[in-house]
Amino acid sequence: MSTVMKIENLEAKIGDKKILKGLNLELEAGKVHAIMGPNGAGKSTLSKTIVGHYDVEVLGGDITYKGKSIVDMDAEERALEGIFLSFQHPVEIPGVNNAYFLRTALNAKRKHEGKEALNAAEFLRLMKSHLEMLGMKSDMISRSLNEGFSGGEKKRNEILQMLILEPEVIILDEIDSGLDIDALRAVSEGINKMKDGKRTFLVITHYSRILDYIEPDYIHVLKDGKVIKTAGPELVAQLEEHGYDAIEEE
Amino acid sequence: MNMQKNMIETVAHFKEDFDLFPTANDKLEYIFDLGKRHTILPDEEKNDATYVVGCASDAWLVGECKDGILLLRGEGTSEMAKGMLTLLLDIFANRPIDEVLSFDPAKLHEMGVVELLSPVRQQSLEAFLKMVYGYAHKCKEQGA
Repeated sequence: MSTVMKIENLEAKIGDKKILKGLNLELEAGKVHAIMGPNGAGKSTLSKTIVGHYDVEVLGGDITYKGKSIVDMDAEERALEGIFLSFQHPVEIPGVNNAYFLRTALNAKRKHEGKEALNAAEFLRLMKSHLEMLGMKSDMISRSLNEGFSGGEKKRNEILQMLILEPEVIILDEIDSGLDIDALRAVSEGINKMKDGKRTFLVITHYSRILDYIEPDYIHVLKDGKVIKTAGPELVAQLEEHGYDAIEEE
Repeated sequence: MNMQKNMIETVAHFKEDFDLFPTANDKLEYIFDLGKRHTILPDEEKNDATYVVGCASDAWLVGECKDGILLLRGEGTSEMAKGMLTLLLDIFANRPIDEVLSFDPAKLHEMGVVELLSPVRQQSLEAFLKMVYGYAHKCKEQGA
């Protein structure tokens, strides 16, 4: 097994509340890992901790990415290194053009990788090719980032960012929440397009619905700030039938 | 820009680029974006003979002939001049002299941006073209 990310004894708090309490998790490169768990288990805190969100204070433990500790890296550096988070509630930023925002992000990453920046036309060609696949309207190019977007449009826009930035570790925090079936299909198609046996996915979800579209390799159950069980996709049916309370800590 | 393309193909390529942008402002900003590839001239090449007379901001254009090819290089001082020079040099520079002389500058309108330029900038474009064709005719006369 080739490990791309290893989380050991991770403890973290948001405000005064300790949420992650000695969490251990190993992500196998190129695989789809689903994190499931009840409300308040720490799923979103885990995703925020991995990307270096300013809300979170790490109290102990370590996160290594490709063999290097990242807990002291700032969020921008982690993003440049290829870690991506699709937000559960994407932020609206009036006045910031969606295409400018994305091109700036992509060119920052390309610069980090020693590649030439894409000019506006090269970037728009790339963006338009993905818009069509995601069933997004072309006015998404010139609208302000997420401003006035429906829930489905915001989630599609998160996937658009993922497709353009081509990250290596992709964390999807409840990407399925608030999506109708058509949007869920489009979003899943975008995600599946990125599955190439090299990129690693961490799919955080309450429900098994999205896992019908994005087949996971591993299911991790998170409860009270710890991963209490890791198993194959067969665990989903068990969770659906018996709920999280029936899962015993390993 | 792929220099394998001839002048007409290069104009067509720019038309495709400009068509990607939904608004006039976006198209003009793309011209500024092109200016990021803009290069500068050594001071000794910036003189009265290379000065683009009639350009809205200071600009210089150097033209030389070599083996039947028109070599052009230029420098502009404003963001718009840098962008337009980059665009126009992609189209006109390092082309066979006969290709330049047979190219109809009205084709530049096909890109859909010339009409977006202010009258002063359109005048700058005319000034640039006058110099380019001046250099090209001179090369032709010299049989270079």
